[in-house]
Amino acid sequence: MMELAWLIPSLPAIAFAFMVTLGKRLPNWSAIAATGSIAVSFALFFFVFADWLGAKSFPHPENYTFVYSIDWLRAGDAILTWGMWIDPISLTMLGLVTAAALGIQVYSWSYMAHEPRFTWFFAVHSLFAASMLALVMADNLLLLYIAWELVGICSYLLIGFFYDRRSAAEAAKKAFITTRVGDVGLLIGILLLFVETGTFELSTIFAALAAGDLSEGIVTGAAVLMLLGAIGKSAQFPFHVWLPDAMEGPTPVSALVHSATMVVAGVYLVARIFPFFEASDTASLVLLSLGAVTAMGAAAMALVMTDIKRVLAYSTLTDLAFMMLALGAGSVTAGMFHLLLHGFAKATLFLGAGSVSHGSDKTDIRDMGGLRRVMPWTALAFGIGALSLGGLPPFGGFFSKDEVTLAVFLIEEPYRWIFLTVALTVGFMKALYMGRLFFSVFLGRLKPENEHAHEAGPAMLAPMLVFTTLGAVGGLLAFNWTDGYQGFGYFVFAGDHQEAFHPNWWIAAASAALAVAGFGITWLAYVTGSLRTDSIIAKVRPVHTLVANKFYVDEVYQWGIDQVMLRAGNAVAWVDRAFVNDIGVNGPGIVTEKSGTKLRLLQSGKIYNYALGMVLGFLAVAVAWWWAL
Amino acid sequence: MSSMEGALLFALIAVPFFGALVMVFFPADKHSLIHWYTRAIAFVGLVLAVYLFVTYDTDGDLGKYTVDFAWLPTLGIRYTLGLSGITTPLVLLNAIIFMAGVLVSWNVTHRPKDFFIWLTLLVSGVYGVFLATDLFFLFFFYELAVVPMYLLIGVWGSSTDFTKMEPAEGPGFGGGGKFDRPKEYGAMKLMLYLVAGSVLVWIAIVAVWAEARSATGEASFAIASLAAVEYSREFQVIFYPFFMIGFGVLAGLWPFHTWSPDGHVAAPTAVSMLHAGVLMKLGAFGILAVGMVVLPEGAEAWAPVLIGLGTVNVLYGAVSALGQRDLKYVIGYSSVSHMGYVLMGLGTLEVIGLNGAVFQMFSHGIMTGLFFAMVGIIYERTHLRDITVLEGLGKRMGVVGAFLAAAGLTSLGLPGFSSFVAELLVFIGTFRTYPLLGVLAVIGAAITAVYILRLMAKVFFGPISDRWADLEDAKPLEAAVGAALVAVLLLWGLYPFRIVEIIDSGVKPLLEGMGIA
Repeated sequence: MMELAWLIPSLPAIAFAFMVTLGKRLPNWSAIAATGSIAVSFALFFFVFADWLGAKSFPHPENYTFVYSIDWLRAGDAILTWGMWIDPISLTMLGLVTAAALGIQVYSWSYMAHEPRFTWFFAVHSLFAASMLALVMADNLLLLYIAWELVGICSYLLIGFFYDRRSAAEAAKKAFITTRVGDVGLLIGILLLFVETGTFELSTIFAALAAGDLSEGIVTGAAVLMLLGAIGKSAQFPFHVWLPDAMEGPTPVSALVHSATMVVAGVYLVARIFPFFEASDTASLVLLSLGAVTAMGAAAMALVMTDIKRVLAYSTLTDLAFMMLALGAGSVTAGMFHLLLHGFAKATLFLGAGSVSHGSDKTDIRDMGGLRRVMPWTALAFGIGALSLGGLPPFGGFFSKDEVTLAVFLIEEPYRWIFLTVALTVGFMKALYMGRLFFSVFLGRLKPENEHAHEAGPAMLAPMLVFTTLGAVGGLLAFNWTDGYQGFGYFVFAGDHQEAFHPNWWIAAASAALAVAGFGITWLAYVTGSLRTDSIIAKVRPVHTLVANKFYVDEVYQWGIDQVMLRAGNAVAWVDRAFVNDIGVNGPGIVTEKSGTKLRLLQSGKIYNYALGMVLGFLAVAVAWWWAL
Repeated sequence: MSSMEGALLFALIAVPFFGALVMVFFPADKHSLIHWYTRAIAFVGLVLAVYLFVTYDTDGDLGKYTVDFAWLPTLGIRYTLGLSGITTPLVLLNAIIFMAGVLVSWNVTHRPKDFFIWLTLLVSGVYGVFLATDLFFLFFFYELAVVPMYLLIGVWGSSTDFTKMEPAEGPGFGGGGKFDRPKEYGAMKLMLYLVAGSVLVWIAIVAVWAEARSATGEASFAIASLAAVEYSREFQVIFYPFFMIGFGVLAGLWPFHTWSPDGHVAAPTAVSMLHAGVLMKLGAFGILAVGMVVLPEGAEAWAPVLIGLGTVNVLYGAVSALGQRDLKYVIGYSSVSHMGYVLMGLGTLEVIGLNGAVFQMFSHGIMTGLFFAMVGIIYERTHLRDITVLEGLGKRMGVVGAFLAAAGLTSLGLPGFSSFVAELLVFIGTFRTYPLLGVLAVIGAAITAVYILRLMAKVFFGPISDRWADLEDAKPLEAAVGAALVAVLLLWGLYPFRIVEIIDSGVKPLLEGMGIA
């Protein structure tokens, strides 16, 4: 079965091709083709997984990965291949992506039912699933980059789904260009490694790294350059600006592409090339610092945003930064575990948010409140998702947050305490913003204008509740169950650092206490009303303004684009026109023409002019002769 | 012409050449007959080119692909044709773009007979340049491809006038200020430039011929025998730039590129397609197949300059495109930028870089043909090319928008389309030789994303104005042309194995002949 894993991305790709070419003629078949193909891929995942379990001597890490590849291109001495790499990291991603894509497509049947471009939505959705699946299975950096760009373009098309809305068109453009800037780094890093090792294949590159064939500078350089791509895709500071705007896309897109799967591609990439970060302390420190800055900034912004999807977007930024922190701290296990549980919880929350705006036509949380009365199932799902991502035990998000915090705790001095403080603070803020969001939307008094709001239908509720369940109980994966499975670290790990589950009670207690405190404070603020938020805001007005304006980062970038980049475009266009063209090209033309006009006067046709010329010439010759003598 | 393949090569040039001459006797008012006749000529070429491409034998003897007639033996001029791994895709490119160009020219009603005669002659010249293996005929065909351009632009072109334009709102779209460009200006400029380039090339050809004759005592214009002569290093270093700049002018080599945006913009759709799609490649092909082959040491000495100027092309073209407000100027400058990748690839003098350069010639040709075809449709429907005025067309022109987007995505190097592979090979070649320039080239591709997406967002997205309520989308014929071109881009973007195999089979012996690989 494992050698047929290429079918997993291929089926949605075929569905895409079908919908783009025949979708207009067979409109009723588009959703069936899309969902059918991803359902088969989901089923195939289990076969591949079972096969992998059977084929390798689990839990021992020998023969841990399987690679299958075909020639794609040969030029000169370069042979480029397309192949699959099946190991625990890719299996985790395969499971998450196929499950999320399937559930969210089912949800979209009903959510997108009245859209005129229903077929197009499903077509791009399928292409996205195909590229994302190819991305997580790629056995070489080139195929990874190809899939990486394809998920980027799908994201662009899906954010711009409502393309006749100016804001959507702008958000789509912003997303693609921002990530593209990071991709410049990624591609340069990949090419650098190709020049050094002569291949794009991960296994060969890792072998060269392990053998010490790469200099320290190259290792750090390649790691940081590829990290640029990762932080672009995963919307980490300073490339974080595109993700909140990406909420212009339909909500199922935000759920799948912009929270559960595509944006974690950056985290996946770092996990995939983790040996580089292991080999370079500088690169790891860069990763940690970016993660810390993004986590703090994004958590602060999540606290003050008022649009339901934007709060979720900033919370996604925070969680992605959390995963980066874990990887920077050296724990692929914690990073991937948080990735998995965050995926389920965030899918729940976005589908819940979609259900809320679908049922109430509201997007601003200040216009909501008490919605649990009219949409109880959504409230239940959203509540569990929020408590889980807020890091409250016993939900899944607590365990993954704990793993990350523990990983950060294990960083070596002198940075340990800085990053541990950050991790704990952010953990507290996660509880704060999740509490604020859930309480102000679903609890409290129901506003009269929201009484007509209605619960979503079963097609939307069912996937939502499935993700809720997965997110709620997913924490169980952390535990030591049998000799063969002693925690998530027994399955996903870097190099040969296979680790069994061993909790640190101090860290767990601290992070649980902070979560309880966070939810408690927001309970007082948004449910009982005994804590006045406006008086707190009034006390920290300048800070609040700064955060509510997203630290003015967007403004700085806009200024840079308008005043530097576009001005440069205008200036070069003008120079090309005025100098290279008008002076450089037309200049000689004009000189020729003008001098021709003047010289023409010499041939006046008047006999006395010629006579004068002859006399002058005769005199000149005479004088010259005289001089010569 | 003993083999069938030889006969096919002969026909490839002869069919359009004599076909155009026969068209002179057609009645000028039978428009439909003229259109169908030209389509038939284009189709014959397409069939031959596809056949040659599909059956091309990468390991076999190239001898069967020859045509050889004595023409002026005293000077060593022979009519010889040949095919190689490098020219096979380029011949196919020419055939595809000619077919597409003729089909989208269904709306040419102004003197169609003259239009198609010149167009067809031009195409026969292009085939000739790719196939001729004798420098005299190569040069003859080169001129045959260039001269009709003057009339095609001057008579059937369109003028641009930005003198009365309101300044654009918001940043960008400066477009180089207020200026006007009558089509006659574009035609004249293009002509003078290309003729100046030809003069340089001709000087170099005669110099090489004379030098070779004094060395071997035998007069010959055959590229193979000229390449076999050992020229002194000084001679090579002095005369290689004549080839590099002379042919480079036609390839849009910076700073001799300015004829190209003005020429593209003034030209009618089919001519823009052929011009940017195929003609600019003649320049790059000339540098490769004549300059580098005949004067390898000169090529090595000047390679840093070529790759450096190519990098300037990439960045300067991309940044200029960012500032344009006329759709066609954006694409014109984008061609300058993309030809930069071809020149960079040639400048690497390295097997992967050269593969990339040739593949990029093919890929850019198809892509830019698609671009101009779609922009031509927009211009025909709206009579506008001003980006600041056009908005939200996607609502009415979804098909045109989709094809334009496909061309745009190809242009910004999206994997799945063939330009990605071509540019990747150029990047690899450049990183192996001049890594810093490679970094700049990758950055150039990112700038491309900015101007392409800005154009798409402005012209196709956003709310549509009532003014475009009756706008007509692509007709079935136009949509078919678009779909065919997109299919070609996708085919070799997804599985480039075969085309690169063919190119590689031509590049390797070329480099071996130069004493490099």
